[in-house]
Amino acid sequence: MNDQSPIGTAEPVVSAPFFLRGELLEGTDVIQKSRDLGVSFGTPAIPFAKLVHPRTEVPPLLNVPLSEIIDFLVMTGERIRDPNNPFMAECIDRMCSTHILPREVVANQALYAASYLDKRRLMAEVEQNFPDPAALDGWVPKQDFTGRKSFIRAFAPRLIHVLPGNSPGVAVKSIAQGAMVKAINLFKMSSADPFTMVAILRIMAEIDPHHPIVKSMSAVYWRGGDDTIERVLYRPQYFDKIVAWGGGDAINNVVKYLGPGFQLVSFDPKTSISMIGREALSDDATMDAVADLASADVMTLNQEACVASRYQFVEGSEADVDQFCARLHHHIARRAADSGDVRAMEMGMKEEIEALMMMDDDYRVWGKTDGKGLVIRSEEPVDFHPINKTANVVRVDRLDDAMRWVNVATQTVGFSPFVRMADYRDRLASGGAQRVVQLGEAGPSTIGNPHDAMYPLHRFVHWMVHEDGVTAE
Amino acid sequence: MTSAVETLMAKVRDADRFDYSANELHATQIVALNERFQDRKDSIKLLAMRAREAGKEAITSLADMVPLLFPHTAYKSYPESYLIDEKWDRMIKWLGTVSPYAIQPIDMDGISDIDDWIARLQGVGHFISCSSGTTGKSAMLLASQKDMDWSKIDTVGVFSWGSGVEPKQDRMMIGCAPVATVPKNTIIGQAQTEAFSNPDWPRWNYPVPPITVGSLTRMVVMRKKMADGTAMPDEIAAFESTSAERQKMLDDAIQLTAEEIIEHRDKKLMVSGLWSGLFAVAKAVRDRGYSAKDFNPDNCIYVGGGLKRAQLPADYKEFVHDTFNIPANRDFQNYSMQELNSGMPKCREGNRYHVPPWIVPFILDKRGDTLMPHDLKGGEVEGRAAFFDLSLDGRWGGVISGDKIALDYSPCVCGNRGPSVRDDIARFADLEGDDKIGCAGTVDAYVRGLS
Repeated sequence: MNDQSPIGTAEPVVSAPFFLRGELLEGTDVIQKSRDLGVSFGTPAIPFAKLVHPRTEVPPLLNVPLSEIIDFLVMTGERIRDPNNPFMAECIDRMCSTHILPREVVANQALYAASYLDKRRLMAEVEQNFPDPAALDGWVPKQDFTGRKSFIRAFAPRLIHVLPGNSPGVAVKSIAQGAMVKAINLFKMSSADPFTMVAILRIMAEIDPHHPIVKSMSAVYWRGGDDTIERVLYRPQYFDKIVAWGGGDAINNVVKYLGPGFQLVSFDPKTSISMIGREALSDDATMDAVADLASADVMTLNQEACVASRYQFVEGSEADVDQFCARLHHHIARRAADSGDVRAMEMGMKEEIEALMMMDDDYRVWGKTDGKGLVIRSEEPVDFHPINKTANVVRVDRLDDAMRWVNVATQTVGFSPFVRMADYRDRLASGGAQRVVQLGEAGPSTIGNPHDAMYPLHRFVHWMVHEDGVTAE
Repeated sequence: MTSAVETLMAKVRDADRFDYSANELHATQIVALNERFQDRKDSIKLLAMRAREAGKEAITSLADMVPLLFPHTAYKSYPESYLIDEKWDRMIKWLGTVSPYAIQPIDMDGISDIDDWIARLQGVGHFISCSSGTTGKSAMLLASQKDMDWSKIDTVGVFSWGSGVEPKQDRMMIGCAPVATVPKNTIIGQAQTEAFSNPDWPRWNYPVPPITVGSLTRMVVMRKKMADGTAMPDEIAAFESTSAERQKMLDDAIQLTAEEIIEHRDKKLMVSGLWSGLFAVAKAVRDRGYSAKDFNPDNCIYVGGGLKRAQLPADYKEFVHDTFNIPANRDFQNYSMQELNSGMPKCREGNRYHVPPWIVPFILDKRGDTLMPHDLKGGEVEGRAAFFDLSLDGRWGGVISGDKIALDYSPCVCGNRGPSVRDDIARFADLEGDDKIGCAGTVDAYVRGLS
């Protein structure tokens, strides 16, 4: 079936169990490959019947109050953060065998992710997504100006979450969001991280194995695009929506199953940029400070995340911009060294950069192609996707000239000086961008803010209407 | 005095060329690798850079050469904007970083498009072949007149050895695939026609408009405009309608070729193409009620490339062979790549691709930077394929491929003692599959309608 022939068969197989609504299913029926390290891991065969909740039964969480769900999530967060929690420790061990990021980065991500499970935070999330959160707990009465009455419910949906492989934090967030909309959730894990989701769900089962929240969650792995599994499961009779991250093949595989009753909520693959005005180059101290901020955005999650800046449009003369590049390289290299991330540069990108090094009247490069941090200065963005501690500074005469490089894939724009932002944000939005932040602040965001130009929870639920006739005058 | 490179290349006319074991060739090959390196290390800028970085001054072992092999992507490392904005002087400068010879001056006035630019370079002895990549960017492979001359000899030798068909000018040649109009393909076509085609029976060229580098580049430009959002709806509509016309021609070509084959079924045929095209034509021939019994039992087939992700039934090969009555012992296959200048034909007894003495094979780890442990005296090694084609003159001969192969240093069951490649070549890109999901990504994922 989806047994992949291993490239090297010598390495040991790590076990990646499934979680099925409270039960743990171990097995090595299928040997899978992790995408980046080429490590093998074993999973059970897909237990189809256990993944689907019959439509004749209402979702288990439907009548559990939101406040109780949030309390449960908060308790889960405390256990994730507990350094003595055996599930998390084991998970981090396992993950380091398949994940491309260093152990410390992985461990910190799990801790950081758990901070999402905070009562005020979760409430804010719900309140920002729903004009009236009471619609999650019950039928909310409404009346229009003609006197017609009705009840509205944000009814619990059946969701498949196709998880990304580059951010363990998404696991925590997906559980919380799925729980808060009271969904029946099937999490399809990625080969880069087939462990975190199951570890968190096991922590939840340890709190109360019979709680409806536990009974609403399953996490399994299959190789993305495996028709023998997706053709079976991706049906409106089983699920309402598929929540998917990524683009290209990953989404194309999903798209072919969409149809009436089976909708896509997509978190698209994104590229983030920085826009830096000439004010930043006014003197050495300012230049250094701004370069440091820019490097923070480049190095967000060691440049694995979508919010991490890849192109920095810098306004100024070539000489000034080159000075900025030198400082930017210094700070990226410093952050890279501090993180202990020593991943070598991928061959294709290395090759492209070396060609640019030789085209030295159009391009200039700071650093070496050794994976320790590198900056390329050019007059337009390079052809490749800068990744693994690589920044591409694009020199522009005016920041307005950078607008042509903003497109539908642009996510976060880190801006300096921020006072000039107001002149640009409408055009950035029109070009396709989704988020503008102060330079150096690509990571954090206001709690409950839209993601990917939408309020996701609002889109997850099944908006059910109960018409109640016209009021008697 | 004859150099080691010349000694090895001279074996191209040796009937036993695949019978030299890796172990007995080793010493000469190392000397030859060093000859090439010494000869090129100052003239190819990219090589000079690599050598400096790796601290290499001489080649004394296979491992010495590993850091000096170029990834197959090296020939598409030019900035795309040079091509799109037709910055020919920049493109020439880039070519200069991978060329061992100074790029000869050409008339830069009024270059109409890339095909014109390539033609002008060809006029001064620089032959550029171009391969279209899945990402859109084309590899620009520079070659010299010597390389063209070598291709002519090698291609005939490879086919003859692999198929057992002698070059007797006694066949009708039928092309079943659109061929990109690049110098290497043109020269190979010519050489084969001269060797195998009956001069009275003109070669049937697949009836589709030529695929030029210019036409490939127009696709690249369009794709870029779509991604940037600067392509206007009218432009896309026009492009789509051109694509539809082209698709119609491709569909018609299958039928016209099937008719031509049926009409000449009494003649001894040599059909050539890629599996997808050969299968489509074979199916059209069958649909018209013809099959093996109607064709000459001395027919032969020349297949270029692998499946290239074509979706075909499991028995596609048997279906094609059965249709054209290809004898069972003529299952010709050749393993090569655009980046090399020589082929590795498959033997008929052992189903393995044989490496000639002038190609030095390297099996690397998946990343492509370390030589896998191996024993030249025998045994199979699996990993990323890399080769040094000593015959290459107009560019560096060392290439790291995207292929995963198994190379055996033991003698093949066909009796030849030279190294050979197992018949299960895969691309690393395909093995990795499509499980790459992340929130970070590029605008490429937002472009639909061009592939």
